[in-house]
Amino acid sequence: MNPGMPQKLSLPGVKNVIAVASGKGGVGKSTVAANLALALRMSGQSVGLMDADIYGPSVPIMFGLGMVDPQTTPFPLEKYGVKLMSMGFMVDPNQAVIWRGPKVAQAVQAFLGQIDWGDLDFLVIDLPPGTGDAQLTLSQSAPLSGAVIVTTPQDVSLIDARKGVRMFQEVKVPVLGVIENMSYFVGDDGKRYNLFRAGGGQKLASEIGVPLLGEMPIDPRIAECGDTGEPMVRKYPDSPAAQAYLALARRVIATSATPAAAPLPEVQW
Amino acid sequence: MANDVRPVSLKREGDGLKIEWADGVTTFATWRHLRASCPCAACTEDRAKPPDPFRVLTPQEVAAGPAAPVGIKTVGYYAYQIAWNDGHDTGIYTLEHLRKLGTPVTHGN
Repeated sequence: MNPGMPQKLSLPGVKNVIAVASGKGGVGKSTVAANLALALRMSGQSVGLMDADIYGPSVPIMFGLGMVDPQTTPFPLEKYGVKLMSMGFMVDPNQAVIWRGPKVAQAVQAFLGQIDWGDLDFLVIDLPPGTGDAQLTLSQSAPLSGAVIVTTPQDVSLIDARKGVRMFQEVKVPVLGVIENMSYFVGDDGKRYNLFRAGGGQKLASEIGVPLLGEMPIDPRIAECGDTGEPMVRKYPDSPAAQAYLALARRVIATSATPAAAPLPEVQW
Repeated sequence: MANDVRPVSLKREGDGLKIEWADGVTTFATWRHLRASCPCAACTEDRAKPPDPFRVLTPQEVAAGPAAPVGIKTVGYYAYQIAWNDGHDTGIYTLEHLRKLGTPVTHGN
């Protein structure tokens, strides 16, 4: 068997596998994935977060973790009650992972299939940008319940987000909804400022006929929290951004209650 | 829309694959036709070339005889991967492709 071909993985203990995706880089997928995972945890769910960004893992820094010795440390790691797996736990942050696609696919498959995730209500997967190896491997091998698409409001981000949506449509993974990140900023005057234009997320959601799951505000503390290893939703649970994430978690739980994807029938011999 | 039609059941029947689709249509495609329409990059490229009258069958092809599958597995929610008796297994047949390759059959056939 060709090593690049999809291996079918089953995660019997995991009820929902949610991919956090976007076409474009820099829209805040990892921030959304980390805060969503924690918000789900704070809503009483058992949660895992898998960092499928092999070249640029962000989960370790966002959870205040670093490299560990894979010989002595069992994966997944756990922090704030969330089970975590990332390439960043195995590779020095100053070292680059210079790999061709098939190796990325293998790593993603290993993270999914060889890690003991145990019983989880949600496994959130933080995808790298684009529509390449990691995305394709997951669509072919993982029992994805659905994908959420992260975008920022402006057209330059929407163009690529649409490509992400198109990819999930091609591989018949249901798109659960769109999250508009960096949606607005609330000034000291209490007014809402749309820094990157308004309505982009809603436009994309309407176009593809899925709900707009949330509009996440810009808050400088989000960056501070990401860099210091305690996501916003946990550190400042009363902030508007944290409240938006908790509302997002509730919507994701509600959306996942009705399974949108059913496995294909096997061939009868 | 035909593009979104899912299969209800797939059966190996005689010298081909019979698929019942959710919209009530049943299609049948012979293994020979399916093998000849393998969507993998190498086969697609081979089909684009002019036929080579001097092509010699590989020993594996000769040993395999008529095309037959040795395994079929699902790929995500969108395709089936067929492993053939000649050792070829890189073709991922999307649902749309399988639907197009099959000939509709009337019930009772």
